[in-house]
Amino acid sequence: MFLDFVEGPFWYTAVVIFVVGVALRLVDIFRHGKQEDLASVQGSAAAGALRTIVTRSWTAPGFTRGAAFHLVAGYMFHIGLFVVIFFAAPHVAFIEERILGFGWTPAPHWLFILAAILAFAGLLLAWLRRVMHPVMRQISTFDDHAAAILTFVVMFTGCMALFQSHDSLRAIHMLSVEILMIYFPFSRLMHAFTFLISRGYTGAAMARKGVNT
Amino acid sequence: MSNASTKRKRRRYRAAKRAALILICCVLIVPLIPYGLSATGSQVPNPGTDLWRAVRQRDEPANARTQAEGVDAAVLINATGEDWRQFRMDILVPIGAWILGGVFGMITLFYLLRGRIPMEGGRSGRLVPRFSVNQRVVHWFAASQVVILGVTGLVLLYGRFVLIPLLGPEGFSVTAAACKEVHNLFGPIFLLAVVLIAILFGRGNRFNAIDLKWFLKAGGLFKGMPASSGYYNGGQKSWFWLTILLGAAISVSGLILDFPVFEQSRTVTIWAHLTHSVLTVLFIAAALGHIYIGTIGMEGAAESMIQGYVDANWANEHHDLWYQEMEAAGMVDVEPNALEEVKRHDNIDFRGFGSPGSPGVDTKKG
Repeated sequence: MFLDFVEGPFWYTAVVIFVVGVALRLVDIFRHGKQEDLASVQGSAAAGALRTIVTRSWTAPGFTRGAAFHLVAGYMFHIGLFVVIFFAAPHVAFIEERILGFGWTPAPHWLFILAAILAFAGLLLAWLRRVMHPVMRQISTFDDHAAAILTFVVMFTGCMALFQSHDSLRAIHMLSVEILMIYFPFSRLMHAFTFLISRGYTGAAMARKGVNT
Repeated sequence: MSNASTKRKRRRYRAAKRAALILICCVLIVPLIPYGLSATGSQVPNPGTDLWRAVRQRDEPANARTQAEGVDAAVLINATGEDWRQFRMDILVPIGAWILGGVFGMITLFYLLRGRIPMEGGRSGRLVPRFSVNQRVVHWFAASQVVILGVTGLVLLYGRFVLIPLLGPEGFSVTAAACKEVHNLFGPIFLLAVVLIAILFGRGNRFNAIDLKWFLKAGGLFKGMPASSGYYNGGQKSWFWLTILLGAAISVSGLILDFPVFEQSRTVTIWAHLTHSVLTVLFIAAALGHIYIGTIGMEGAAESMIQGYVDANWANEHHDLWYQEMEAAGMVDVEPNALEEVKRHDNIDFRGFGSPGSPGVDTKKG
């Protein structure tokens, strides 16, 4: 019964809040447009946007050593999570059956396990650093911690339900996923959709002024 | 109907009754013959004995053939599996419980007798940097793995006895299934934690004569027996090497069990399981001591791993040789956040103080 609820009404509620919430946030960002730039054009905005999207994927020169820990942990987590979400066999089957109507070849089991290990290790290391580092602790908000903990809970319940041996474990995982989906549009988790936009905007604005980013 | 015909029918009926009676007696009595013979000491060879002995391959070398590919494919019954089961149920489970319970009891008794070890000089208010951000992150990363793997592992080992009465068979089934998946997935992460511990805490953990004196004074745990030490004392060094050596052995044996796709035989997995479980019980027992002395057992100890700084009096009382070097280097009474800022957050290395050939603070790193 609980499984019916989380795979039925609560699932559809979570999807609606997630899709509408993300759409409204994106519309709001684009609706603001950009500030009028009175400076003379010094360079290509498009090239600047693309360049910044690439360069901001790494640390700025001179900062690599200090940020190496965070850089490695961050990439471990994000790459691992991406593979787990979109290439784990149960997820591909779920996407095919419940969302898109078609699927794709899932990752082999060993790759899925490796990705899950990277994701768990990366998330724990990055969050612990956020808690331990005096500067990062100061600039972190409730949202940062809530997003990290909620993501960990989703991954953990997914791990518990890995072989779908019990419906109750699957139901707990679904419930945690749906809570995350409802929280998503109102949190910094939106960076999953906005990170390219913000980097591109900054790069375009700076390149147009002739500032090298 | 003639009398002769009636008599024949009666004779046949009586004969049938006798035959049925004899048959019933045979059915009931014949199976009892072996028991009777056994009771009198006579041996009755079982015609299936040789067959099943061959199947079990206990007395003969494994020379069976099969079309199925894979290690142990030709083994019909692995007799060593029963030895492993008996070891697990009769030795590992009860003795493991005695060890863990005994250590917990000893720690509780020590706490009741000794109480929390205070800072004799009280808090000075002056701070000494102890562990960098990266060291603390890696410590808590490893600690999280120990807790997750320890709890799930103990559920798998003792859940049948502890949780079934509480949750019932169905509830335990769900719990055990979840714990098994979590344990299997987090196992390799623990190996990563052990490697990171080795990298970030390795330097300064070599034993020396100071540690021998520290051990002889029981680590200063008892009143009136102060024990000198450098940056790490003998107990911390022992815990470090236990973590590295036991952690590596536990991880490798766990990986053998976790990924049974490398043609490891049943015998190898049985030995891996024995190694894994025995060492893990010992590791958890040692971890209980580490957790106790790092938290409620000693005032001021936990701060080193939470905030990265310790009180100067704590440093002087428990790591006096290191404290003297820190004082000489002007590293006592520092502003926490300012120091972090100056040293670019985490590139400072405080290890090695109080040890022979101590490198001191590498100020160029900042």
